[in-house]
Amino acid sequence: MGVEIDRRPLWLLLIIKAARPIFFATLAVIFYYLVVLPLPEGLSAPGRNAIAIFILCLVLWVSNVLPLAITSLFAIVLVPLLGVLSRKETYSIFGNEAVFFILGAFILAGAVMNSGISNRLSLGIMTRFGGEPRRLVLSIFFLAAILSFFMSEHAVAAMLFPIVFEIAKGLGLRPGKSNYGKLLFLALAWGCVIGGVATFLGGARVPLAVGILNESTGLTINFLTYTLAVIPLVLVMMVVASFLLLRIFPIEITDVSRAHTLLYARIQSMGKVSVREYSVGFILIATVLSWMFLGEHVGLASIALAAVVVLFVFKLVKWKDIEEYVNWGIVLMYGGAITLGTALERSGAAEWVATRTIGEWGTSPVAVIAIFSLLTLLLTEGISNAAVIAILLPIGIGIAGKFNMDPTLVTYAIAIPAGLAFSLPMSTPANAIAVSSHYITVRELIKSGLIMSVTAWIVFNLVANYYWPLLGLWGN
Amino acid sequence: MGTNYLQNPGTLKIDLMLQGLRSTDRSITDSSENSGLDIVLPGGIRVNVPCGGVFTRNSPYELIKTGKGYAVTDGDDSIKVTLAGNPAFYSRQTKSGVRFSDIATVHGSYVVITPQSGCEFFEEGIECTYCAGNFDKDGPGRVFSIDDILEVVEAVKKEKIAGIIYLSIGFSKGSDGGIQFLTPYIEAIKKFFNVLVAVEALPPKRNQWIDHTYAIGADSILYNIEIFDKELFEVICPGRSKLIGRNRYLNALKYAATVFPSGTVASHLIVGLEPPGSTRMGIDYLTDMGVVPILPIYRPAAGRALRIEPLTTEIILPVYRHLYKTVRDRKINMNWVRDISVITTPIEGRALFGDGDKEGSKFFESFYKSRLGRKTAWGLSTLRRKLRVKGAAGPPDETGGSGAKSGEGDD
Ligand code: SF4
Repeated sequence: MGVEIDRRPLWLLLIIKAARPIFFATLAVIFYYLVVLPLPEGLSAPGRNAIAIFILCLVLWVSNVLPLAITSLFAIVLVPLLGVLSRKETYSIFGNEAVFFILGAFILAGAVMNSGISNRLSLGIMTRFGGEPRRLVLSIFFLAAILSFFMSEHAVAAMLFPIVFEIAKGLGLRPGKSNYGKLLFLALAWGCVIGGVATFLGGARVPLAVGILNESTGLTINFLTYTLAVIPLVLVMMVVASFLLLRIFPIEITDVSRAHTLLYARIQSMGKVSVREYSVGFILIATVLSWMFLGEHVGLASIALAAVVVLFVFKLVKWKDIEEYVNWGIVLMYGGAITLGTALERSGAAEWVATRTIGEWGTSPVAVIAIFSLLTLLLTEGISNAAVIAILLPIGIGIAGKFNMDPTLVTYAIAIPAGLAFSLPMSTPANAIAVSSHYITVRELIKSGLIMSVTAWIVFNLVANYYWPLLGLWGN
Repeated sequence: MGTNYLQNPGTLKIDLMLQGLRSTDRSITDSSENSGLDIVLPGGIRVNVPCGGVFTRNSPYELIKTGKGYAVTDGDDSIKVTLAGNPAFYSRQTKSGVRFSDIATVHGSYVVITPQSGCEFFEEGIECTYCAGNFDKDGPGRVFSIDDILEVVEAVKKEKIAGIIYLSIGFSKGSDGGIQFLTPYIEAIKKFFNVLVAVEALPPKRNQWIDHTYAIGADSILYNIEIFDKELFEVICPGRSKLIGRNRYLNALKYAATVFPSGTVASHLIVGLEPPGSTRMGIDYLTDMGVVPILPIYRPAAGRALRIEPLTTEIILPVYRHLYKTVRDRKINMNWVRDISVITTPIEGRALFGDGDKEGSKFFESFYKSRLGRKTAWGLSTLRRKLRVKGAAGPPDETGGSGAKSGEGDD
């Protein structure tokens, strides 16, 4: 790109230039005001400071005035500085499993793309489903969703990422500019998120919630009942998402044959499937199977990293080759966000918000379900979904007793929305991976995610109030 | 006749440029033989005067010594003047052994540097008819290195003699008007020194080169059309006419005036090579576009008696008055192109109206000439560039690409 001369009036350019320092100064004043506010009842000073840091980071993440990773690092600096957590604790939280899962996913994706096997997989998907642009987007969405019924949604996102990326490249879509590129990665993220809540297999949060329920009340929820309870929500959300995907960003391309031809030519030039491709493919399949069957015991991150080690042991990839695929910014962003989420949890800030809200609005069982589902939807955007469950469920079970409600209802009201994080990249690896592609920005993710979140909340409450009674869930 | 002009430095400058100055002091006439003599008239007006030689033999003015100083007399009356003298750095050499005075010439507040000699018009025999051939005298291929030029600029800065570095270049066949060659020089000067840079180049074929010139750090640009009259332009400037074209000059100037700050886009109209009426039309045309006309007076070179006759101060004074009035009325900033001894700038027209004596004018004059004034000008110019320039300052894409194209290649 050459130079461009901005001919707008100089005073206007000056104001635009001054906007940034003014923005930071205003933010600093607001932040200062928040951390010196008198403590409300029930909230500790570290809790108040944690909320202030969260608000500050949310504004910075959403406005994108700083790179996402830098905002996260800032959070890591502020948490111990304002006495929310000790330094040691803060930095140790960064070594969270999810951070290493994302790191492993990037390395695996890099190896897959570098080996060329992603070209063949992409071409396979395009030949089967990609007749025209809309069909291709919906295929990616449904593929991600259905796979997430049976395996961890995080693993699905990691597995499909290199394939979708290859398709976007093959179509010559410009990152950050192409609407179709945004849709491809939204389809991937939304597919994983929606599919991930359909069964116990989508993630660890439902088993965690059932575990807490069982420990506190002796009650349990089985796989089939859970799936039956959630399936209308999943189906409606899939319809809504398909509808939105075709409309939210106008598609600028008319056919995908160009990518088809390009991928075909590239594969032709690659010749027959090489031993390296077979080996990477084999390791990928083994990783996916391990995620499915050993994920709970060994951990998704450990499996991903073990697969990475195997790739290097067999010299299937060089560090230099995959370095460009590892989006360190997203890794740092995620680590910082998890630290902040934990700070909210451990400082008692999240619990304070929950009790205040429930105390004020939870006046009937229907309202309790509505409030818990809303709170969970909001908190899960900023805090890991397991933490949301750990914070809210004990409160929810207590409140259920007050209204003589079945505690399993509250468990559903927390466990299901905890997986429905559509708006922020720091809420779930699927969103983080989508943003790491640079095709979609945080602001665009929020814009489209908000519609999905509001819809999810409404549909969830309709399902809870009108469908669950049919299953006898509101019971007696 | 000279008596009429002696008491007004504005008119005297013009008359001196037109008629020259006699001197019996051989040391002065010898040292100013090629480049003229820089003197400072009352009011700080600088003028470069032909001194000695055939051209000045009939001049009514003579430089005389008065005690410790000098005066210019017309036989009846006299005024005190100061000889600008040569800057100390003229006598020094660069590390590579080039004399500083070969690289740079100080003209008032400008230091003129021509990094590459040679003008390709000469190769085809289509050089400007008035050209003294300065560009050609060292033969094509003489190029001063960036390091040499940086040494000179450093010396200029240390001596605090001038605020503006003026880079010029002759014609070369590229489509960039010489900017591609000058780019590393401009960038290096801007990187190491806080100085204003004016560039005299030829209009590039595409406007993106003008954007580029501004983006890399040029604070002022001159595309010298020299002759406004269409037919005379073709005759006097055959190379410019054939290979660039009058329309391209005018369009490039028009475009540059939308890129550079007010008063920093300028063009020479040589007085004495076309009828005064035509120069006046040129002034109107250029100022309408926001361009500052600069009116040098044609100084005949040996064997080239090109100037229109009669050419007297009475005849050309109204042209200079018109220049000042038009630039003032069009509200074009006059403070950029100023204090150049070899030409008369619009701001010097103030003296012709006696406006220069007003308190406000005096205050601004001294502010602009002060170090603080220069620093402010540099700061504002840099800030403006920061606000206006978007994207990376690389050379324009020669295949076309995006960018403003209005008025290009229309000749
Ligand atoms: S452009 Fe004309 S005046 Fe300038 S050096 Fe070439 S011939 Fe001489």
